[in-house]
Amino acid sequence: MKGKGIDTKSMQEVGWLKLDNAAKLFPAIMSGELTSVFRITVFLKKPIKFSAVREAVEITARRFPYFSVSLGSGLFWYYLEFNRQLPRIQTEEKIPCTAFAAKRKNEPLYRILVKENRISVEFIHILTDGGGAFEYLKSLLYTYFRLTGNKIQVTEGIILPESPITEGEMEDGYKRFFRKKTPPPVKLTKAWHLPYKLNDKPRLKVIRSEIALDKLLEIARSHNVSVTEYIVSVYLFSLQKIYLEEKEKVKKQTRGVLRIEVPVNLRKKLPSKTMRNFSLFVLPEIDLRLGVYSFDEILKIVKYQLQTGADIKQIVRFLSQNVGHEKSPFIRLLPLFIKSMAISAVYRKLGSNQCSGILTNLGCVKLPKEMEDLIDSFELVPTPPNTHVKISCAMVTFRNQLHLNFGNISRSTNFEMHFLKHLTESGIPVKVLNNK
Amino acid sequence: MSYCINCGVELDEELNSCPLCGFTIGKKDITKPIHQSEFYPSDIILLHKKETRRHIWELSGIISFSGIVVCTIVDLVIHKSLSWSLYADTSILASWICLTLILLTFRRYFIIIPGLLITILTMLFLFDLFSPPVNWFYGIGLPITIALFVSVSIVVVLWHVAHFKGFNLLAFAFLVLSGFCIVSEVFIDKYLFNAVEIRWSAIVAVSILPIALVLLFVHYRMKKGKRLDSYFHV
Repeated sequence: MKGKGIDTKSMQEVGWLKLDNAAKLFPAIMSGELTSVFRITVFLKKPIKFSAVREAVEITARRFPYFSVSLGSGLFWYYLEFNRQLPRIQTEEKIPCTAFAAKRKNEPLYRILVKENRISVEFIHILTDGGGAFEYLKSLLYTYFRLTGNKIQVTEGIILPESPITEGEMEDGYKRFFRKKTPPPVKLTKAWHLPYKLNDKPRLKVIRSEIALDKLLEIARSHNVSVTEYIVSVYLFSLQKIYLEEKEKVKKQTRGVLRIEVPVNLRKKLPSKTMRNFSLFVLPEIDLRLGVYSFDEILKIVKYQLQTGADIKQIVRFLSQNVGHEKSPFIRLLPLFIKSMAISAVYRKLGSNQCSGILTNLGCVKLPKEMEDLIDSFELVPTPPNTHVKISCAMVTFRNQLHLNFGNISRSTNFEMHFLKHLTESGIPVKVLNNK
Repeated sequence: MSYCINCGVELDEELNSCPLCGFTIGKKDITKPIHQSEFYPSDIILLHKKETRRHIWELSGIISFSGIVVCTIVDLVIHKSLSWSLYADTSILASWICLTLILLTFRRYFIIIPGLLITILTMLFLFDLFSPPVNWFYGIGLPITIALFVSVSIVVVLWHVAHFKGFNLLAFAFLVLSGFCIVSEVFIDKYLFNAVEIRWSAIVAVSILPIALVLLFVHYRMKKGKRLDSYFHV
């Protein structure tokens, strides 16, 4: 939706922003399939009122001016250019997380999708991560509810449209917490990947599931682990099952390391209020060259690895390595097209090979009670996985529901079957939802 | 209160069509929705591709016409008449028309192929016309160009109708190429010697035939299921 401008003088004066450290990867690797787009959906109890959404989007965009940007390309780096554009409000199509025409002039880098009783926001990772997008969605919902005549007294944890914009919301958190002379992290071996053939284009299919949180919590607590630790363990255990099945068929299986990429919201670890990308990964793994693991063994390993991996010193170590590359004078002076080719090649050769799966956890959604009463559920659709990983997984918890979505670009749903079957066999009720 | 039966959203009373999908709701005059071509996220990608093609076309237009002007002026300044620049200008113009056909009639092969044929034939005819009398165009230019287009059209049609794009297509393309060589030699011989004796094209054909057979064998007997795009991807 084009039209009304965003009246934020200081933003206009600044004119442009550097991409944050994580965002620098995406313009080089994104494509029609590997879109780098994720979606957060909120299902309301009543049908959406279009005019209220439109007004809420206009109001909210003024509060988040750093999202009203488009991608510009310079001689050495891509950058974000303030464009005073409002995001488009569109209707959903069959496949979620469709690519943005990010290199188009003045093209917004997020969109609002409306259908029946649900509002979705789709962000390209160049702009922000799940944490930043979710803050935006909360603010949008708050404004929408107020415009539709609902009174919301408690506003704790929500960025209100009238609240002042702070400089910290625009900062590059990675650069702020970069430490010189930090030893680089240990190099990772290549991980094993699901052996399935890819779907025909457009490849992405989403399997949605709803899991009873109380029962999951009860079982996780009985094993003395958190929900995330339990779900990551199920992920690794399901991968191990498939690995062993495949080993029966193909005798020569080489890579026996199963590794999951679990993004960590650094805003919870480091004192930053940034609304741009600020997350890193923890990489729990099991090495099947050492033997087959029982589920209890995996639980122990995952618990230990997630806790040590999310240790602040480890995070700063990874963060400093990433920012260190960006700061290298040689890399900085390379022209953009060479840099893009190099980033793309390195990603294809190394980055996409290092994990067997991805699990994003948006966490437990907490909203004022008046707002929660108007909401049915939340869902997160992960960014389409690369052709090595093939399946990614995203979860979000709201009240007593955990929504777990699988983004799959392969022809097999064997992994999802193993995953959900393990949960039901453990006594956790799972409902597979219809793709609307 | 009205709802769009497509999107299921509640709409204001005064709206005649859904701003999200364009679906007409009211009985009043049908008004154009706000963003005719921006209902779905993928619409923007298509729009972007269209814009990019138009930008390339405009830029190529500027470069081509600058080239024509430069060649003409240089020729006029040096020779005081139009000599070599006639060939250069015609080639540049024909190239730009070909590019226009490819860019603006995106993948409409039934327009692109005849359009390219007419452009190239006109260019060759003009080349012949610039050094009168007209002699080689009807003898060689016209038949060989038509033979080339027929060959290319056969390959394009095969590419489109083929259920599986593997080594089989490559083999058929080689066979079409050997056919084109034979036809070319027939017309060249007829024009130059007024008699037909198949020599070099026969060598080309017999050299290509085993390659095509090997490719067909690989496709149908050994690697059935190997797609060209996956096999040759860089």
